[in-house]
Amino acid sequence: MSYLEVRNAIKKFGPNFTALDGVSVAVERGEFFTLLGPSGCGKTTLLRAIAGFNDLTSGEISLDGADLRAVPPHRRDIGMVFQDYAIFPHLTVFDNVAFGLKPRKVPAAEVKTRVTQALAAVRLEAMVDRLPAAMSGGQQQRIGLARAMVINPRLLLMDEPLSNLDAKLRVELREEIRDIQKQVDIATIYVTHDQEEALAISDRICVMSAGHIEQIGTPQEIYGDPQTRFVAGFVGTLNTLAPGAATDLLVKALGLTPSATTGWAVRPENLGLAGGAISGEQLPGTVKKYTYLGREAHLQVTTAVGDLVIHVSNPSRTEILAAGAATTVVIPRDGLMAFGADGKRIAGR
Amino acid sequence: MNALLRPNFWTLVAIFTWALLILLLFLPVGSVLTSSFYDRSGQFSLANYAAFFSERRFFTAFVNTLVVGFGGLVGALVLGSIMGFCISRFQIAGSRFVSLLAILALVSPPFIGAYSWIVLFGAGGLVRGMLRDMGITMPPIYGLAGILVVFSLKFYPYVYLLVLGALSNVNRSLEEAAEGLGLTPWQRTLKISFPLILPALSAGGLLALIHAIADFGTPRLLGRGYSTLATEAYAAYSAEVGSNMSMGTTISVILIAVSMIFVLLQRYMSRRNVYHGNMINKPIKIRLRGWKNVLAHVAVYGIGLCGALPVIISVIYSFRRTSGPVFQDGFAFQSYERIIFNLGDVVRNSLTFSGASVLLIVVIGTLIGCLVARRTTLSTSLLDGAFMIPYVMPGIVIGIAYIAAFNTGPVVLTGTATIIVLSIFIRRLPYTVRTTASALRQISPSMEEAAVSLGYSPFRAFMRVTVPLIVPGIIAGGMLSFVTAINELSSSLVLYVGSTMTMPVRIYLLILDGDFGVAAALATILLAISGVAVYIAFRFLGRNEQALL
Repeated sequence: MSYLEVRNAIKKFGPNFTALDGVSVAVERGEFFTLLGPSGCGKTTLLRAIAGFNDLTSGEISLDGADLRAVPPHRRDIGMVFQDYAIFPHLTVFDNVAFGLKPRKVPAAEVKTRVTQALAAVRLEAMVDRLPAAMSGGQQQRIGLARAMVINPRLLLMDEPLSNLDAKLRVELREEIRDIQKQVDIATIYVTHDQEEALAISDRICVMSAGHIEQIGTPQEIYGDPQTRFVAGFVGTLNTLAPGAATDLLVKALGLTPSATTGWAVRPENLGLAGGAISGEQLPGTVKKYTYLGREAHLQVTTAVGDLVIHVSNPSRTEILAAGAATTVVIPRDGLMAFGADGKRIAGR
Repeated sequence: MNALLRPNFWTLVAIFTWALLILLLFLPVGSVLTSSFYDRSGQFSLANYAAFFSERRFFTAFVNTLVVGFGGLVGALVLGSIMGFCISRFQIAGSRFVSLLAILALVSPPFIGAYSWIVLFGAGGLVRGMLRDMGITMPPIYGLAGILVVFSLKFYPYVYLLVLGALSNVNRSLEEAAEGLGLTPWQRTLKISFPLILPALSAGGLLALIHAIADFGTPRLLGRGYSTLATEAYAAYSAEVGSNMSMGTTISVILIAVSMIFVLLQRYMSRRNVYHGNMINKPIKIRLRGWKNVLAHVAVYGIGLCGALPVIISVIYSFRRTSGPVFQDGFAFQSYERIIFNLGDVVRNSLTFSGASVLLIVVIGTLIGCLVARRTTLSTSLLDGAFMIPYVMPGIVIGIAYIAAFNTGPVVLTGTATIIVLSIFIRRLPYTVRTTASALRQISPSMEEAAVSLGYSPFRAFMRVTVPLIVPGIIAGGMLSFVTAINELSSSLVLYVGSTMTMPVRIYLLILDGDFGVAAALATILLAISGVAVYIAFRFLGRNEQALL
């Protein structure tokens, strides 16, 4: 049995809206587990059910073998980090972090050492006596992290903790969160809608949409071997080939079998231009747009199978493809992914 | 445990609130409504309304009410926006002192203003006399002109404080963008700044209008026959011979209807005009030079000092030597001595009544505020709406309604202190409910959830996190309610008996008796108490003049 188990969780808001439609996940000790999905997919609802703020309509949640739904939220011993930080503005940084130790009746001397340690871990030891009101978002979220960790919770929950921060700080802080989590070795459930963040930080990712789970797997599995069209489209970019004779012809030329119910897709970085490193079937096209990004160049090419986005790494500094120029797109056989009418991946394709 | 079987605490609060509203608001106001439909013999009839609309006297009062209402509105808008514009856009020396003058005007009872202006510009007025000695004759201030002067100077702070807040929040980039697009400063003001502060202007104007319509003391003292609905309602109620209660209630109903129409109109007007500026570029204050600088200072200080003039006059006159009601040369403490020996119980009444009502307001208002903010159901939305009613209810109407409802029947409260406390309580309760609710809505619910996740039970989380965050606001709100409560005249004037007389009532009666020395001294004490309360409120809120509205 896994450390945290959610079985067949159903949550309905009113008679017509189902936020969670039979969700089951299992998280191991020390694992960094991410719930990824667009807003409204039910990821936050699941997190709040585990925290105890919104109970499930039906289903089971167990932590370390014991039923969690029977325990009121304040006895669950689960640390939580909030999207809006939820730092108490009337308390100093020290008192904010020490707040959770009071109901645990920790002796004063130990409170001091533990709070100092926690603040050192998030690099805020110099700000112990400050009031949080004037502090930056990044600093406030560090307090939030220290406050949730200091109680040595059985589980750590994070609800989009970085989404209110600017891009650079987001990358910096997510590395720190990952390092601290590995150090203290605590099972963590992290909610985000940012696919890059999820890939960078997680041991495993659970992609959700419309109240159900699309796929659970390591970052490599989620990105490299998506099991549904939704996952392939949500994590990374996806070119969908326009259904029709041209696509059928291309698929046949690559030695695959076309079918009326099968949709074909390919990732931009798996496509190439003639004369490049990638080999496969060639398809003539016209450049619609060329964007030079230094490390990469992004092309939009109009072809018989529709507009394709192509990512070329290490683009030439001199060969600039102007809009309207003729070019040839190369499609390799193993780059193609096939999805059935139900959106599920067709095995091996 | 089945949550349905346990009576939920908040359900009890909701039931209690509805009971309170029904007992203290709907029943009395309902009885006003119904009694206006009965004639003296107790028969149902529309005779009162027929009389209202056919008798010239009432029609005049109705027109006059609209005239003083809109006159006060225009005056307050002009003075308030000039002052707000100058203070927010130009460097004015001593601008905090000017704000203090505006607060003084706001917390002084309006009838004091009326009397001070009589002292200066009345038939035997000080300034008028001086001018006559210099060969200039001016008409005395009585009548419509006087009422409008007093209303403009009394109610301009509503507009000033709201406009100041709005103008200080207009993003400078917007005006710079307009400048970049080639608009002249005048066009810029008209097309950019004006629409942005329009909600503040209409809200401030509405406050001025409602207070002007409801005000009873000023037209009574200054009007010299210029009657409004408020004075007619009081006259119908208090006439020594042939007191006509049902006519009083009829006028009250029309007064409520007029106020209600304007509140709805203002809501309709400002419905779409809510702008949320980002505050990256705060407006800067320009340093004016030369005659423009002089003009701005003269305007600001002129308005501020004229508005605070009644207060200044009262304080000075309270120390003047008197012989009976007649002022003599020189200064003395006679007026204060007479208060200590004769009127101690009036001061005590005012303090206990206001204290008791504020205590009730704070405790019950906070509970209801929590209910409205945190449990959004149909019932709480209706509650929120129901609390608009006391807001538009002129004090004189509440007074008459309470007399009508609690004079006979199961609960007789006429002549008790309770009835005065309750009338103040119901009128001021909506403000506390609203401020508490909006304070709570600003506290993210995740704040309490954080405390719960750290091991605090929901109740302890509320006590340890939410309460400390809203308590300063509640104390400040309580203090400001206290200021309103202790200055309340119109409902107490209807409800008082000899033993429950309050300071504003006594001041009003003293002025009618021509005993201005004692009236001034009593008004000064009232002002001092109000001043202390405002000071405490500002200590808790930070300096936030807008909270006074």
